Amino acid sequence: MTVLVFVENIDDELSQQALTFARGLGDELHAVLIGAPAVPAGLAAYGVSIAHLAAGLDAYAPAAWAQAIVELVARTTPAAVMGPGTDRGNEVLAHIAAKTDQPMAANCMSIAAGDPASLVRVRWGGSLLEEARLHGSPMLLTVAPHAVAAEMVAEPADLVLEEFTPSVSNVDLIARVCERASAVSAGVSLTDADVVVSGGRGVGSAAGFAVIEELAELLGGAVGCSRAVTSAGWRPHTDQVGQTGTKISPEIYIACGISGATQHMAGCKGAKKLLAINPDGEASIFASADYAVIGDLHEVVPAISAEIRKARSA
Amino acid sequence: MRSAQPVERTGDVPRRVGNEVSIVLGQRKLLQRFGPGLMHAFIFWGFLVLAPTILIALIGVVDTHATLPWLGHQGWYALLVDVFAVLVLVGVLAELWIRKVQRPRRFEGSHLGEADLILGLIATIASTLLLWHATRIALGLNEWPRAWSPAAHALSHLFGRDEATRVLERVFVWAHVLTILAFLAYLPRSKHLHIGTAAVNVWFGRTGASGRLEPLRFDDEEVPEEEIRFGAGTATDLTWKQVLDTFSCTECGRCQDACPAFATGKALSPKLLMMGLRDQILAQDSSPLVPNAVTDDVVWDCVTCGACVEACPVSIEHVDHIVDLRRHLVMVESSFPAEAEPMLRDVERASNPWGKAQSERADWASELGVRVLEPGDRPPEYLYWVGCASSFDERARRTAESTAKLLNAAGVDFAILGPREACTGDPARRMGNEYVFQAFAEQNVATLNEAGVTKIVANCPHCFNTLANEYPDFGGRYEVIHHSELLSRLVREGKLSPQRSESRSITYHDSCYLARHNDVLGPPRELVSAVGQPVEMKRSGKRTFCCGAGGAHMWMEERGDAINAERVREAAGTGADTLAVACPFCTVMLDDGVQSGGQDLRVLDVATLLAEAIDAG
Repeated sequence: MTVLVFVENIDDELSQQALTFARGLGDELHAVLIGAPAVPAGLAAYGVSIAHLAAGLDAYAPAAWAQAIVELVARTTPAAVMGPGTDRGNEVLAHIAAKTDQPMAANCMSIAAGDPASLVRVRWGGSLLEEARLHGSPMLLTVAPHAVAAEMVAEPADLVLEEFTPSVSNVDLIARVCERASAVSAGVSLTDADVVVSGGRGVGSAAGFAVIEELAELLGGAVGCSRAVTSAGWRPHTDQVGQTGTKISPEIYIACGISGATQHMAGCKGAKKLLAINPDGEASIFASADYAVIGDLHEVVPAISAEIRKARSA
Repeated sequence: MRSAQPVERTGDVPRRVGNEVSIVLGQRKLLQRFGPGLMHAFIFWGFLVLAPTILIALIGVVDTHATLPWLGHQGWYALLVDVFAVLVLVGVLAELWIRKVQRPRRFEGSHLGEADLILGLIATIASTLLLWHATRIALGLNEWPRAWSPAAHALSHLFGRDEATRVLERVFVWAHVLTILAFLAYLPRSKHLHIGTAAVNVWFGRTGASGRLEPLRFDDEEVPEEEIRFGAGTATDLTWKQVLDTFSCTECGRCQDACPAFATGKALSPKLLMMGLRDQILAQDSSPLVPNAVTDDVVWDCVTCGACVEACPVSIEHVDHIVDLRRHLVMVESSFPAEAEPMLRDVERASNPWGKAQSERADWASELGVRVLEPGDRPPEYLYWVGCASSFDERARRTAESTAKLLNAAGVDFAILGPREACTGDPARRMGNEYVFQAFAEQNVATLNEAGVTKIVANCPHCFNTLANEYPDFGGRYEVIHHSELLSRLVREGKLSPQRSESRSITYHDSCYLARHNDVLGPPRELVSAVGQPVEMKRSGKRTFCCGAGGAHMWMEERGDAINAERVREAAGTGADTLAVACPFCTVMLDDGVQSGGQDLRVLDVATLLAEAIDAG
């Protein structure tokens, strides 16, 4: 049985895993590579006998890449086409499925040959395993990350390289990578920040966040907020820390004017230390706080900022 | 209908007969809005009374001097006909006035022209009948003393006993009969089809608690694999009752008017949902229901509060449609609001929706001397099912603390499951994740059955609803009561004696899952009256307005205006100083609403109110 594997990057573990997985189903392994920078070494080590290199499609364009593979499938009639369970692997295979009107199974954990083949695949972000049967000619699937460990073959065969030029229409090239720009961000992202300074209803207004922003900037941290703040329209939802917002795990979380509702605490339980500033000594956030200041954030926060400035200029 | 999915709706005949009598004959649901409801009742009762006159008129067309045997000669029947012909006209004119002059918002999106045409036809039928009778009286052709027909008699003075009247008599009877025939021909293609489908839909309506969702049968050996439903993806996935629902809809908009999502500017209108589904069924369109029949946000806006179901005069069950659409989106498409994903994951992984440690579940009770039931222990009289919110949420915990203190004070034999209590699965189920719900249902039922539990008291209406109405489907049969029921009984029996404060004004907010879905209305009010001066909101009892947390909305972001803010404004409008609740989610939502809106209201669970009033005494 011939299995064609879309190899996104042979140096990447997930592509290696896809090839290892494919060996469990087929005895003859073909690989297709699109936009690969050089003739890939290492393919043979994972059991590939023929590598098809698509020419002229260097920039990623999901529909066009899929079209290239569809043409290859028409010529080589493999029993199955597989891809790694990466974003691109899933996207290209989905386009192949759409173009050939065949079903596709994403994120497969294991497969047993048969007609139809039976497989187990991951659903629900890993919380559910689904037993399914896959029809289709060829069968289309992607391999769940780490479903199998990448293993080389004991005796690699000689690798045959076959270059081909797919005929891709302009329609297939509508969505493609045109330009690459490095991420420009005004500050640190909430998820990665070591310091997060958040404001709650106690900040009082959108303008009131100036003191929060100032402290965050001094500490090289990110600004967060509670749901009450986004509901009031003072900050965008992307700043919201909580059950229905961002989950954060900074070294220190400074919560200003936040009462500590369960919905909020669910988002900051990953914080190593919590400093709470709130005028209400009964506020439930103090139950989880490592450091507490009972006071008005509009006095306390500027005072902290001033101290930091003083210490740094000294 | 023939390609629709099965659903069991045949048993419980006495209750179905009862529904026909009260909802159809008695027009109970319509009369919830008394004015328009009464006008409809005039027309409907008129339709029943006047039905035999169709035969009488058909005979009259052929033979001026003939009528129905017996009934055609009865004076009392002539009186009924006369009175109801007038009442039908009154009803039609009033309805036209409502539609043309008042123009309430509930008709937005309905087929208005169609309704006008139908009202016009009915008016023609009733007025030609009266005029026909009037000419017969003028010609001395009637079978009964003219005093039996006051209206037709009054009209008869317009006509002389002459040839012109003889012609008019023919014109009126023909006009009457032809209008009826035209109406009959038009009926099957119009929204007026409800005169046929409504009674049938009411018959097959739910007879049990409205809070129970129909379980999907994943593991049932009797269901062939290819027939297992995963909710509704296309029109053919709908059950026959759901299809019948769409054909019963008269587009009256009572559901839309009651809907908290619609009231706060969201995309959902239960009426437009029904119309969208019906259009897709009629078009025999096999494309996905979402987003073709209804858009994605419509499906997620619903708080499953059931206000639409309660308002619907023809027993349409909108929430079942919504949940089936969600089930398909969640279980087949994995498509749902991203912010709800942590809740689903945490329910599965941590057995509670906030991902707290199960070992901390009984922390609130550590200093209250509450017995935590260990395996093999003697079962208590009441198992107190605390629920996740009252176990973990700092505001809702006060309810659990108060309840435990009160039960201790009254000497009730109770215990909690502590870390062995898991989420009932309700939020996952209302989100559409039936897999997760059923796993938790089975786990909890096993725990409860092993512990020998027979009676459960729950303070969370959502847990209460699931335990009482949904766990029986999974082998868990217990006597489940809400804490307000047990506490009010203890007050009645004198085991708890609160201090009543005359100056304290309290308005009670009914929880949807307690009042509407489970008919618990009196006990929480008894508790409120026991501690202070009750004052009702306009939307109360079974017509309560949701706090905004139902249907897993506790863990979703709200679009549009906030439902809780709307409800808090209504509560503050009563002038009360305390807003009493009987649900931990209502507690959190309404307290949030008060904090945002700045109203001078304390939001307290009835148990906490009672505990405070006992401490004060």
